[in-house]
Amino acid sequence: MVSTVIAEEQEVGGCRLLLDQIRPAIHAHLDDPVIETFGLTIGFGNEPVLSGVDLPVARHQITAIVGPSGSGKTTFLRSLNRMNDKLRGFRRSGRVELEGQDIYGAGVDPLVVRKRVGMVFQRPNPFPMSIRDNVLAGVKVHKMVPRAALADVAETRLAEVGLWPAVAGRLSDSPYRLSGGQQQLLCLARALAVAPDVLLLDEPTSSLDPVSTEAVEALLLRLAAKVSMVIVTHNLAQARRIADQVAFFCEGRLIEAGPTEAVFESPKRRETGKYLQGQFG
Amino acid sequence: MTSAAASERTLHWAEERTAFSRRLAEKWSLSLTVLALFLLVAPLFWVLGGVTDQAARVWSWHMLTQTTATGGLANAIVGTFVLLAGVLVVAGAIGVGCGVYIAEWAVPRRRLLLRGASEVLSGVPSIVIGYVAYVALVVGLRWGYSLVAAVLALSVLVIPYVAKSTEIAISQVPTSYREGAMALGMGEGHVLGRIVLRSALPGIVTGLTIALAISVGETAPLLYTMSFSNGYPDGHLTHTTMGYLTYVAYIFWDEPSSADQNLAHVAALVLVLLVVALILLGRLLVRLTQRHSEGAGG
Ligand SMILES: Nc1ncnc2c1ncn2[C@@H]1O[C@H](COP(=O)(O)OP(=O)(O)O)[C@@H](O)[C@H]1O
Ligand SMILES: [Mg+2]
Repeated sequence: MVSTVIAEEQEVGGCRLLLDQIRPAIHAHLDDPVIETFGLTIGFGNEPVLSGVDLPVARHQITAIVGPSGSGKTTFLRSLNRMNDKLRGFRRSGRVELEGQDIYGAGVDPLVVRKRVGMVFQRPNPFPMSIRDNVLAGVKVHKMVPRAALADVAETRLAEVGLWPAVAGRLSDSPYRLSGGQQQLLCLARALAVAPDVLLLDEPTSSLDPVSTEAVEALLLRLAAKVSMVIVTHNLAQARRIADQVAFFCEGRLIEAGPTEAVFESPKRRETGKYLQGQFG
Repeated sequence: MTSAAASERTLHWAEERTAFSRRLAEKWSLSLTVLALFLLVAPLFWVLGGVTDQAARVWSWHMLTQTTATGGLANAIVGTFVLLAGVLVVAGAIGVGCGVYIAEWAVPRRRLLLRGASEVLSGVPSIVIGYVAYVALVVGLRWGYSLVAAVLALSVLVIPYVAKSTEIAISQVPTSYREGAMALGMGEGHVLGRIVLRSALPGIVTGLTIALAISVGETAPLLYTMSFSNGYPDGHLTHTTMGYLTYVAYIFWDEPSSADQNLAHVAALVLVLLVVALILLGRLLVRLTQRHSEGAGG
């Protein structure tokens, strides 16, 4: 009786449950995930940030990661393409497998990992160079096509994200004269141009207006046919609209994961239900 | 009711008083601004006016074609440009390299050490640098008066400025650019060369402009390392002397012949014009390199 009361109180203050005793609720088995983490545990210095995350990422689907601020979503996402490697105090144990190969394994080149697993950030971050050079930045570095084909690549990629009509006449302009939404689409085109297998998106629409958000969402839905995606979002309605799979993180742990419908309609853990109903976070 | 009215009146009065003191403060700051502007601009016009006036009286076109041997400045102008080119290459390479090293790779302790050394170096009087270059290079390495010694002495003088502006420009490159580049699978070299240095270019160009403007105006290190001659640069790097403008402005002015004194006046004008041209060119280049920068207008 007494312990229930304490648990209740802790629950109200966040999702601070007796977490050590729980295992995440996983709704269904995924065969053939493109990425899968095994006991992924991350800390910065002595501060633990993620503990024992086991999460498969479905191929050619959109996986949404939701959870309160500070629950480790960004840290998790960045560990999937080794963007955390250089951060001060970064410590990791556990594995992240990309197509069955541990990306933190000996002899794995993080540059190759990042080329295969691209990333789009919370705030649009175009480079200070022309719109064309932005799209082609990665393509040129990796010498992916002959020089003569660069113009075509730029057009294809800009068309792919739906930006071509808006920028066709001003490819040499500064990207900062585009609207925030257009800048984010440009960053998407830049990431897609190096032909990644997986795209990681960290709250890609949180700084955008509703119309731009809709454009980005429509694009992500179209892209799912050829790129697997993991998107962190604070916007639960967005997760519901576009995600095939949802993973709920809290206090550095994966609490629950599964098909979007199942997680939203019949969450297996009480704290998932509470978060999804907006009771905390 | 009454107390409310009273307090409102007090409030009103207080507001009026702050409005008054604000107006007073505005007046003061405006007059101080005007005064500062005047103190800054007056000497500039005084120098420009004086130099132009003196030079105009004695100006003749053949000064641009004759050498200092025959009452012209041609060799001195060419010599100054050669020195500038040398400084641009040497101080540019070393200064930008140091700046990149300090900003990107140095461990904190070494960074402090290098910054400190650079600051001390920028405080050493140019005549001392000239003297050291004389002892070490002209005499010590037996280069004689030479172009290399002169370029090195001038470079040592301006490297701190180039390094500092490079370091600052690099440290101001947003992390989001680097992360965007990393996320495309770019290696450190590509991130630095294609993204970071490119973003820092306006700041680096500004530093180089300042370095060149300082070099144009230096005399002391050149007296020790280059001496002076009426000739053009002869293609040799060591055991050679040539003409340059600051020498003409500094030494000829004191010569007995009025032709030489006239040359000094014109050399002074050419020097001022050269500095102005450098600054304008620098601005143009900064504008050009900034055309895709965040926050660049138009
Ligand atoms: N580079 C870092 N150094 C130290 N602590 C960090 C770093 N990045 C994140 N953290 C900590 O890890 C926790 C999770 O952060 P984050 O992954 O950004 O959460 P979320 O994206 O879910 O809001 C936070 O408590 C944050 O302070
Ligand atoms: Mg985050």
